[in-house]
Amino acid sequence: MEALLSAAQAHSLETRAARDDTRNTSARKGFFTDTTLCIGCKACEVACKQWNQLPDDGFRFTAMSYDNTVALGASTWRHVSFIERPLDLGGQEAGGFSWLFNSDVCKHCARAGCLESCPTGAIIRTEFDTVYVQPDVCNGCGYCVINCPFGVIDRRPDDGRAWKCTLCYDRLKENMEPACAKACPTDSIKFGDLEDLRRVARKRVAQLHDRGMTEAYLYGVDSANQPGTEGLNAFFLLADKPEVYNLPPDPVVPTKKVKDAWISFAFAAAGLAIAALGSVFAERSVR
Amino acid sequence: MDPVRTVPLESDGRDIDTAVAVLSGEASGQLAETHAQLAGIPEAFRKNPPATYYGQPLLKQSVWSIDIPLYYFTGGAAGAAMVLGAAIQAGSCGARADCDLRRLSVTCHWMGIVGSTMGAAFLIHDLGRPARFLHMMRVFRPTSPMNMGAWILAGAAPTAIVTGLFINRPGVLGWIGEAAGYASGFWGAGLSCYTGVLVAGSAIPVWQEARRWMPVLFAASAATTAASILDLFYEGREARRITRVFGTVGRCIELAAGGRVEQSASRVRRVGRPFRRGATGVLWKAAGVLTAASLVLSLLPDRSRRTQRIAGVLGAAGSLAMRFAVHYITNASARDPRASFDLQRSA
Repeated sequence: MEALLSAAQAHSLETRAARDDTRNTSARKGFFTDTTLCIGCKACEVACKQWNQLPDDGFRFTAMSYDNTVALGASTWRHVSFIERPLDLGGQEAGGFSWLFNSDVCKHCARAGCLESCPTGAIIRTEFDTVYVQPDVCNGCGYCVINCPFGVIDRRPDDGRAWKCTLCYDRLKENMEPACAKACPTDSIKFGDLEDLRRVARKRVAQLHDRGMTEAYLYGVDSANQPGTEGLNAFFLLADKPEVYNLPPDPVVPTKKVKDAWISFAFAAAGLAIAALGSVFAERSVR
Repeated sequence: MDPVRTVPLESDGRDIDTAVAVLSGEASGQLAETHAQLAGIPEAFRKNPPATYYGQPLLKQSVWSIDIPLYYFTGGAAGAAMVLGAAIQAGSCGARADCDLRRLSVTCHWMGIVGSTMGAAFLIHDLGRPARFLHMMRVFRPTSPMNMGAWILAGAAPTAIVTGLFINRPGVLGWIGEAAGYASGFWGAGLSCYTGVLVAGSAIPVWQEARRWMPVLFAASAATTAASILDLFYEGREARRITRVFGTVGRCIELAAGGRVEQSASRVRRVGRPFRRGATGVLWKAAGVLTAASLVLSLLPDRSRRTQRIAGVLGAAGSLAMRFAVHYITNASARDPRASFDLQRSA
C-alpha cells in the first residue's frame, strides 16, 4: 500500500511539474507539415537519422514508387510517403498524373495514446508540450505500440525499448529547431509555437483555395478539427483523403473508450464471484 | 502546362513528343500499337484508386510474443481458482482441515500460486528489458490497463502465496492465512478479468468494437480453465459437484460472450474479417468447437472419470485456443488498414 501511495504521489508530482513548466516557461511547440510544398527529397529523413544517430532499417527496394522507407518505426522518425497516381490535382492539368508527398512524423497528440497507456511513466509530456519516451525508464512492455492510433511508436527488437520522434528534445532545450525542419529545403516542415503555426496554416489553406486548389485542408490542427486526439502538435496540410497518405480519417485515443471496458470488467469480476459462490451453495443444498 | 513539352495522353512506346521532335529515325516506320500512357495500371485503379497507401498497415502489429497469450491462460486460470478457493472458504465446513471441500479450497489457492507466478514469469520474459520489470510499479496510472494489471498481479500473487503457506496452520498464522484467502479471492477476480480490458483498451479496431464483451469473455474463459484443470486432477464427489457447476457456467458464458465479441466486431463487416477468414478464423472457430464439445461432454449423464477428464482437456484446450486466437486476431486486424478506415468512416 505504501509503495502504491508513493508511486501515485511521484506520478502526480511528475505531471504537475510538467504542466507548471508548460504554463510558465515555455510555449507549446509543434510541426506544421505543408504537404503541398514537399518535393520528396527525403532530406528530413536523412537529417533526422544523422542528428539522432539512428541505425539504418536495411536497404531494400519496395517498388512502392520512390518510397523505400515504408513506414515510421523505432529507428525511422520521419518518413516521406510517395503517392503516385493517374489523377490530376485541382487547378492543374498534367495529363492525368500527379504526385503527392508527405513527410510523416509522430503527431505529439494533445491526448497521446502511447503516453496514457504507458505503465511505467517512461512516456512523458515535456515542457514544450511534446511527447517524449525516456530511454532510461522504458522497460519494453510494448503496450504503447498497439495504443498509438497512427501506428507511429515501435519497439526495436535488438534494443528492447520503444522509440519514436522526440521532436528533437535535445535541440529544443538549446533553442534550436528540430533537425528535419532545419534541413527541409522548401519549408514544407515548419517548426514553431503551436499558435503561430496554426495561424500560418489557416492562411495557407485560404491562399490555396484562392488559387483553385479547393481540396486542400488541415488535418488535426486543433481539438475541434480532430476531437478524438484533441488536436495534434504536429499537424498537416493535405490535398486528398487522409487514407491516401495512410493517415486515419477519425483517430480516437483508445483511453477515451476504455471506460466501457472497465465497466464490463466490474460486472465480469462480480459475475465470477457470484458463479463461484453459487456453485458452492448449490453443492451445499444438494448435500 | 509546360509550353514546350506537352505530354501526349496516348503513346506508342516511343515517348517522343511530336510537337517538339520529328519522327525520322531508322525504326520510325516500325509498327507499334498505341496504348494509353499508363497502360500498366489496371482500369479499376485508374478510375477509382484504392484509398490505402500501397496496402501498407496503418497500425503497428503487437510486439508481444506467445508469452502473452500463455499469460492470459495461466493468469486467468489462477485468478478464477483463487475466487473459487475463497468462495469455498466462505461457504463450506468452517475451518476444518480434514473436510474434503477444505482440501479443494487449498488446492485452488495453490493453483493461484502456480498460475500467478508462472504468469508473472511469462510477463517478465516478454519485456524488452526484463531487468526493469519493477518499473511497472513506478507510477499508479488508471489510464493504463497494463499499469492497473501490474498492481492487480502484485496484489494477487503475494496474497495467494500467504494463503497457501498459512491457511491450515494453527493459531494466528491460520487466521492470517484465512484472511489472505479472502483477499486473494478479491485480487483473483481482478486478475482473471483485467486482461480483457488490456486487449480492449488498445487501438486495434476489432477490439475497440468488442470492448464491452472482452472482459466477460476472459472471465468466463478463466472459470472454464480453472474448473477444467481441477476436473483433470481432483476426485471426490462434493468437489466434483462444485467444479461441475462452476465449469458449466464458465463454458456457457464463454460461448455466449465469444458470439457477442464476434458480433459486435462485425458491425462493420471489414473489422470482423479476422474472425471469419484465414488461420485466425480457423483458430477462433476451433476454440468455440472445443468449448462446446467440452460443455456437451460435461453435461452427459455418464459421469465416469474418463468422460470427466476428456471434458477437462477439451475445456482447457478451448480456452487456450481462444487466448491464442485473440493474440493472432490482434495482429491480423492491425495489418489491415481498411479495418481502421472503414470503422472510422462508419462512425
